[in-house]
Amino acid sequence: MLAGEPMLGYVGRRLLEAALVLWLAITLAFVAMQLTPGDPAETLLAASGASPEEIDRLRADMGLDDPVPVQYIRYLTGLFRGDLGISWLQRRPVLSMILEQLPATAELAVAGIWMGTLLGIFLGLLAAIYRGTWVDSLATTLSVLGLSTPVFWSGILMILLFSVHLRWFPSSGRGDLRHLVLPALTLGFSLSGSIARLVRTQVVEVFRMPYILAAQARGIPLWRVLLMHVLRPAAGPIVALIALQFGFLLGGAVVTESVFARQGLGRLAVQAILWRDLPLIRGIVITGAIIYLLVSLLADFLHAWLDPRLRERPAGQ
Amino acid sequence: MRRLLLFLLLAAALATGCTPRSEGRIVYGLTLNPTGIDPHINASSELGIPLTSVYDTLVYQDPQTGGFVPGLAERWEVSADGQVYTFYLRRGVKFHDGTPFNAEAVRFNLERITNPDLASQKARFMLGPFERAEVVDEYTIRIVMSEPYAPLLDSLSQVYLAMASPAAIQKWGLEYQLHQTGTGPFIFAEFVPGDHLTLRPNPDYAWGPRVYQHKTAQLAEIEFRFFTDAATRAPALESGEADVMGEVPPLDAVRLQKNPNFRIQPVPIPGLSLVYFMNVTRPPLDDLRVRQALIYGTDRQVIVSTVFQGTSPVACGPLTAVTFGYDPAVCQFYPYDPSRAATLLEEAGWKDTDGDGIRDRNGQPLTLDLYLMGWGYLPDIVQLMASQWAQLGINVNMQKVTYPEALQIAKDGTHHLLPFSSSGTDPHILRTFFYSQARFNWSKVNDPELDGWLDEAARLFDRNQRAALYSRIQNRIMEQALVIPIRDYVNLNGVNNRVQGLRFDAQGWFPWLIDVTVQQ
Repeated sequence: MLAGEPMLGYVGRRLLEAALVLWLAITLAFVAMQLTPGDPAETLLAASGASPEEIDRLRADMGLDDPVPVQYIRYLTGLFRGDLGISWLQRRPVLSMILEQLPATAELAVAGIWMGTLLGIFLGLLAAIYRGTWVDSLATTLSVLGLSTPVFWSGILMILLFSVHLRWFPSSGRGDLRHLVLPALTLGFSLSGSIARLVRTQVVEVFRMPYILAAQARGIPLWRVLLMHVLRPAAGPIVALIALQFGFLLGGAVVTESVFARQGLGRLAVQAILWRDLPLIRGIVITGAIIYLLVSLLADFLHAWLDPRLRERPAGQ
Repeated sequence: MRRLLLFLLLAAALATGCTPRSEGRIVYGLTLNPTGIDPHINASSELGIPLTSVYDTLVYQDPQTGGFVPGLAERWEVSADGQVYTFYLRRGVKFHDGTPFNAEAVRFNLERITNPDLASQKARFMLGPFERAEVVDEYTIRIVMSEPYAPLLDSLSQVYLAMASPAAIQKWGLEYQLHQTGTGPFIFAEFVPGDHLTLRPNPDYAWGPRVYQHKTAQLAEIEFRFFTDAATRAPALESGEADVMGEVPPLDAVRLQKNPNFRIQPVPIPGLSLVYFMNVTRPPLDDLRVRQALIYGTDRQVIVSTVFQGTSPVACGPLTAVTFGYDPAVCQFYPYDPSRAATLLEEAGWKDTDGDGIRDRNGQPLTLDLYLMGWGYLPDIVQLMASQWAQLGINVNMQKVTYPEALQIAKDGTHHLLPFSSSGTDPHILRTFFYSQARFNWSKVNDPELDGWLDEAARLFDRNQRAALYSRIQNRIMEQALVIPIRDYVNLNGVNNRVQGLRFDAQGWFPWLIDVTVQQ
């Protein structure tokens, strides 16, 4: 929120920004599909033994014979009618295809963020408190591992350990909470690296502040100092980082869903792109963009709530 | 009142005790997340794994003999000109929703499939020169073709041309995929795309084609899940989360085979073997000698034993060895012979004049544009091929592309080498890949004689005559060195030993789930 800006103006500005971002996102998706080689009609029919005329007819039905600007306008106007269209590949309404996958992805994303945040804060705190010792080295190594291990690799290791050998958690599908543990841990581990590093830096910085020394001198126990005086001020940037990471998280979810044989938007997106299913791609891009916008909005509010300075109007207002 | 209830419960228990009971539950791992599973619309092989047991087909193919046996059609006649098929249908069959199965239902299904608005990706084209379906009486249907079409029975035996309930299709419209209704031994109980698909026994199923060993389903429930990541398939079996798993990676298959709790059921798949198409229109592959040199210079045995751990045979020609009409004579072409390859290249004028290890001609190095896709272990195969060819002084530009990109490249003809493999029991599949006008003619061959043979073979009904003609076609393809055959596709099914009775249909992909039992 800009200093002195009335609430209504702020909301209006954010909405306008959101609309612009949405338009940019779906336009970029359209342009990208125009630039990548591959004809959707041919992709669907080539291996079937269809005649060239039959493929041409399907292409005309899909509207791919029209000039690109006409296709673009049709692509946009469908949205204003609130109609996401029919998937070329599955011949089903895009909206219902997305709605049936969304809960699984949302569940995974939320659990992954929780797991990543908890793990990240824990590792970051350990490293900061025991700065310069072997604990710091261990925690830092783990966070680097989290950052650098690809999800498909850490996922397989988790399956081999927790599912094949220990038989603690199932490795596939959706169901009760136990099904969520390994995918969320895998995704969370990849997320925890950057959070741990940020927490460490922030906490080390706050530790140097005179008020921490004062608090400690007054005999306030360490956990209280950490919670009230260290983590609280450090939380703002962490929340901002998590919001930023959300986009990467959706990317990581694609692989996680595949490794753990879970349903989800990620796998649907891969399919849509591989098969040049433009209506489905459009639907998924819009959904992704809306989610991303909502998350960043939420993060802004959370940040403001955590950091009183962001809420205060400058003196004289 | 309570007594009455108790009595009713007791009666119900006794009643169920008298009828044959289906017991046990298995989880069946599918290897891709199917891109839509309406058999009339979609083309994926994966959809047939569950749906072959949800639907029945008019006829069934016996994998032992290759002949066709009655299904929903009790018998059939083909007119002398081969253009009119009359099917006499089984009476008393009902779809899972109670709709009666009859000639009108068959007509409805065939018209649905051929309606351009459905945009069928496979079924429509399996019907070939289909003209119309006529209801003769309630249990007699006539299918009229515009020209003779020998592969029709093969097509009608596949799940893509399965009979679905007209009432259910009309009721569910665009969402029929989630509510599929057939006449088969299992009911399509629940489908959550990307997560699971559940089948339960059809209590009213009272008949089955000869190829089935049971009259009713033996399992109480089958749940299918989608294991798209190949590395997770064996662990899912080992952790007990799946009981059957298709396409286990060869290395894992070798390991599983040593475990007493599991077995590998390899199923050879009929169809187009994994081949590299050679573009005969793009120099230097317009020279037959260069194409032949590439096959002579490829040690396919090494590829098969390294990448596939010896689990699948070396391919000799365009058809896999289990396909009807396959001619083993094609194996006499092109044994691994690098010195022969070198001689052929020399004859074609390709010599290493500048000593850089790569052959050249008129100042141009011998460089080939080779494309690969992410499936079928192609990245591993291609690495071996490139290193074998490097020893012959051939340089390879490798590029990994997606399927739509490959189609575009093939259309533009900018490739030297492009791979593909495909499944199908009828050798008519060759027309899709070697007919001059076919979109999938990735060799860009234009041989009027070959076109003529491919057309004629589709019109021949005598199996011996057909086989002879397809033998000629395969020999021509190899004489002309249109493809580098790599391996015959073998589906490595990993199975927990508590599962018994798993058998597959003639296509090799589709299990007859009615016969599967499980030890508790």
